[in-house]
Amino acid sequence: MNKHSALSSVLADVTVANGLPNEHYVDPAIFAEEKRSVLFANWSGIGFGKDVPEEGDAKPVDFLGMPLLIVRDRDGEVGVFQNTCRHRGMILVDTPRKIGGAIRCPYHSWCYSLKGELRATPHVGGPGQNKHEDVNRDELGLIRVRSFVWRDVIFVNVDGNAPAFEQVHGALMERWGDFDKPIFHGGETSSFKLEVKTNWKLAVENYCESYHLPWVHPGLNSYSRLEDHYNIEVRGQYSGQGTLVYRQLTDQDGATFPDFEGLSDKWDEGAEYVALYPNVLFGVQRDHSFAIVLEPVDQGNTVEHIELYYAKSIEDTPEYDGLRASNAQLWKTVFEEDVFVVEGMQKGRHGMLFDGGRFSPAMDGPTHNFHHWVATQIENGRAE
Amino acid sequence: MDKTELDRLLLDAHDRNDHAALIRYYTLAADTCEQAQDIDAACFYLTHAFVFALECGAAEADALNQRLVAHGRGHRLNFSD
Repeated sequence: MNKHSALSSVLADVTVANGLPNEHYVDPAIFAEEKRSVLFANWSGIGFGKDVPEEGDAKPVDFLGMPLLIVRDRDGEVGVFQNTCRHRGMILVDTPRKIGGAIRCPYHSWCYSLKGELRATPHVGGPGQNKHEDVNRDELGLIRVRSFVWRDVIFVNVDGNAPAFEQVHGALMERWGDFDKPIFHGGETSSFKLEVKTNWKLAVENYCESYHLPWVHPGLNSYSRLEDHYNIEVRGQYSGQGTLVYRQLTDQDGATFPDFEGLSDKWDEGAEYVALYPNVLFGVQRDHSFAIVLEPVDQGNTVEHIELYYAKSIEDTPEYDGLRASNAQLWKTVFEEDVFVVEGMQKGRHGMLFDGGRFSPAMDGPTHNFHHWVATQIENGRAE
Repeated sequence: MDKTELDRLLLDAHDRNDHAALIRYYTLAADTCEQAQDIDAACFYLTHAFVFALECGAAEADALNQRLVAHGRGHRLNFSD
C-alpha cells in the first residue's frame, strides 16, 4: 500500500472518516513535510504585536528553524524579515532589543533600515570605500517575509504563495466583525506559555471541540454544560466551538471587566473559541479575548504562547489589575488541565495499530474539519 | 591627543559599546588624518564613525555620510525619513 493513500480516509465524510495516521504525529519526515506544505505554505502565527510595542523594537524568532526578525518601524508598522545578512548570511539580531537607527550586522557591519533597506556597506570597495559598482544596494535589502497582524497576532506566509490574509481568513474576520476594535494586552500577568510534549496539531484538535469539556474540565459543568455549546466548522478555513452561557468573572465587590463597545446581543452570554488554521487559537468574549500561538518545536514538542487582551488598557484601568490576574490564572488552570490529554494522545500515537481513530459524527466535526484541511494541504504539496 | 592615547580611547569605547564615544573618537581620528592629507586613512575612520552613528540613529550620521560622499567613498543617504 502506498503510504500516501491513507489520507483518502481522512478526506472522507466525518461519519466514516479516520483521523490523520500516526506518522503525522511521530515521524520527523512527515513533520518536515508539514513544515513545508502546511506551516510555510499558509498563514502561520509566529508572535504578537505586543512583543514589539515601540518604534525600533526588534525581536528575533526561530520559526521551525527559520530565523525571522520582527521589527516595528518608524511608521509604527510591524514587518517581518529573514534574520540573515545579505552579505555572508550572519544572523543579524540574536536577542530582543531596541534598534536606535539601523540594524547593523555584527560581522562586517552592513546596515539595514527598519524597513529592510540596505543603508551601508562599509569597506565593500576596499578600505574606506563604501560602495562598489557591482554591489547594488537596491537589490540587497533584507528579505521581507509576507506578514499580517490580526488581533495582535503576527502571521507570516513564509513561502509567499498563499492568497492574501484577508482573502484566506475573511470569513472569520467578518464573523467576528463585532470585535474589530482596539484590544489592549493585560500586562505581565496576562502572558504565559506552556511547554507541552505533544505534536502541535493535537493542541489544535483538543481546542476546537467541546466534547471533552465535562470530562477534562469538570469545573465548567456548574455553569457551562455540554449542551450549552455548539460546533463551529467552516470547511477549508477554521473550526471551533461556541458557548451560549458565557459568565463574566467578578471580583469580591461584584465588579466585572468593561465590555468591548458596540457588541450585539449575541455576545451577552455568547463566546466563541476558534482555531484559525494552521496554528493560532482565538477566544472572544464580551469583556476579554485571548490568542494562543502554537509553536511547533518538533513532531513531539510544542510551546503554547498564551496572551490575554481587554477592552481598556492597563494604564487606564489599574483597578482591574487583581481581576486580570485572577482571570489569567483561571485560563491557565483550564489550559493546564488539557496538558495530560494532548500529551496522552501523543503517546497513544506510538501505538502501531492505531488507525487514526474514528470521529463522533455529532461531536467531532470541528476536529475532523481540521484533519481534512491538513490532509488537503499535504495532498496539495505532494501534487506540486 | 597622540595616536596611542586615541587608540586606547577607541578600544575602551569598543569594550563599553559606547556609541557616542565611538563616533567622537573615530571622527577625531578621521579629522587628524584628513589634516595630514591622508584621505584613505581618514575615510577608513570616517566609515567607522558613520556606521556607529547610523546604527544608533545619531544626528552625526548625516554629516559623516556627506563627508564620505564628498570623497567619493559612499552613496548619499536620505535622513529625512
